[in-house]
Amino acid sequence: MSSNFLVSMKNINKSFGSISALKNADFNLNKGEIVGLAGDNGAGKSTLVKILAGVFPHDSGEIFLEGNEVKLSSPKEAIQLGIESIYQDLALFEDMNLSRNIFIGREPVKKKLGGLIKHLDMEKMNRETLKALKMTKINLTDTSQLIHTLSGGQRQSVAVARAVYFRAKIVIMDEPTAALSVKEVQKILDLALELKAEGISVIIITHNLHHMFSVADRITVLQNGTPVGDKKIADTNIGEVEKLIIGNEFS
Amino acid sequence: MNTFLTRMRNRPETGSFLGFIVFFIIFSIFGDHFFTLGNQTSLFTLTSELGIICIGVGFLMISGEFDLSVGSVYALGGIVFMMLSPHMHSLLALLFVMIIAAAIGWFNGYITTKHLIPSFLVTLSMMLIIRGLIYMITSGRITSHKGDSFVSTFFSVKMSGLPGFLSDFRPSHLWFVGLLILFHYILFNTRYGNHVFATGVNQPAAVRMGLNTDWIKTKNFMISSCFAALAGIIAVSRFRMGSPTIGLGMELEVIAAAVIGGISLYGGTGAIIGILFSAFLICMIRNGLLLMGAPPYWYSGFVGVIVLISTIVNIKLQPRKTKF
Repeated sequence: MSSNFLVSMKNINKSFGSISALKNADFNLNKGEIVGLAGDNGAGKSTLVKILAGVFPHDSGEIFLEGNEVKLSSPKEAIQLGIESIYQDLALFEDMNLSRNIFIGREPVKKKLGGLIKHLDMEKMNRETLKALKMTKINLTDTSQLIHTLSGGQRQSVAVARAVYFRAKIVIMDEPTAALSVKEVQKILDLALELKAEGISVIIITHNLHHMFSVADRITVLQNGTPVGDKKIADTNIGEVEKLIIGNEFS
Repeated sequence: MNTFLTRMRNRPETGSFLGFIVFFIIFSIFGDHFFTLGNQTSLFTLTSELGIICIGVGFLMISGEFDLSVGSVYALGGIVFMMLSPHMHSLLALLFVMIIAAAIGWFNGYITTKHLIPSFLVTLSMMLIIRGLIYMITSGRITSHKGDSFVSTFFSVKMSGLPGFLSDFRPSHLWFVGLLILFHYILFNTRYGNHVFATGVNQPAAVRMGLNTDWIKTKNFMISSCFAALAGIIAVSRFRMGSPTIGLGMELEVIAAAVIGGISLYGGTGAIIGILFSAFLICMIRNGLLLMGAPPYWYSGFVGVIVLISTIVNIKLQPRKTKF
């Protein structure tokens, strides 16, 4: 039924107490596609992607990944299924080095004392980190560098390297360009395109429609928790999307 | 040389090491009988008992939480051990105490992580509850230790069988140093240590990367309680008795030692090795001031000043988090 889509979310409902964040929301994503998720504050964009990332459980509805129904009850399960997230803080750890950041939660270990001690295989971590960094074509060669010594763009690249290295199928970028300089924004948008070139699908959330239009193939607009529009970039323009975001309230 | 200094500067334990050296020299010069084997080993005994608690609390602090109940758990551990000892093998009594301590730690962790109450408040309440419980079960009287000496031989009695100056040392010294090395290793070289750090540095991100931070913290609360109870057992099996007031205020000494040792109150940074110097420093100040003839109440003021200085020094030496 939904086998053509990489991800297909159907009739998703989610409430926080008495507030209904998503109402019968549908969302589809093709392989190797960048989809922009647009909507005003509180429209349910973040809730939708957090459900896909396993952060929130949904109240009702179905999620299909490559045609198979999946249960995403924790971030760990989502990650294991190839759904990675790049959030505003990039899920990076300031006081830890590059290797430890790339491999957090998935550290290669050498078992000692019959598996009682899981000794970090730092050698392998450093070696593989260099490999991962090369994939994103950024110029970082010292894997012992701490994250807080990196620039905003370099941090973003580390987060992307992590997703690429672990062969993510889907990367969720939630407001990745907020609080970045103009130069760095361009790098991030380029990285979204690079992920796409690697065959990875990207869901991008941003308030800046110009950023969205410059990379996305398709835009889905949410309003009060319900999708109100799904347009190919080629068939629409910023003005039309803005109208969808604002809705009928002011018309 | 320059890179050596830079590297030293970036290590969290450097400050406590320097403080330790400075005070050691001052007390050795001005304190009567400070620099004698007998005094140093008895200092090391106090250091070991404080330091074992500090390892557990330090680990917990690195994962971003706090434990104010360790002073009370220390006392409860010692007193329950003494109460059980006449009725069973001391090793079994130790085991019972460890189970009780682990349960207390689990409860602290459960309330903190599942009900999202700051650990400061949870463990403050626990500190008061347990202290009340201690007065209740002892009726405020001193408890004495009767029973076999198996545990005390393994933890606290002087190793008089050893030749020469070695006979002045106690097994607790070895336990302290052994645990210090073990936990330093765990922190920097194992998967668990990596997760403890990540939890302290950026918990929301750690959750998103699939770590069960609630359980990591809860485990550290359990370690903290167990080490506090162990230190209590070591102390009472040395005194052969204990009043219900033992360990009063100890939680603050422990936190002071952790901070001087380079562990951040905000979690995420720190090294366990620093505790060796900072715990010794704190015990040395009390002892050294007395031997220099200073009034005993100078002690807490001195420790306060040192905590303040070391905190400032730690922040100044590491110009981080401000620049991006």
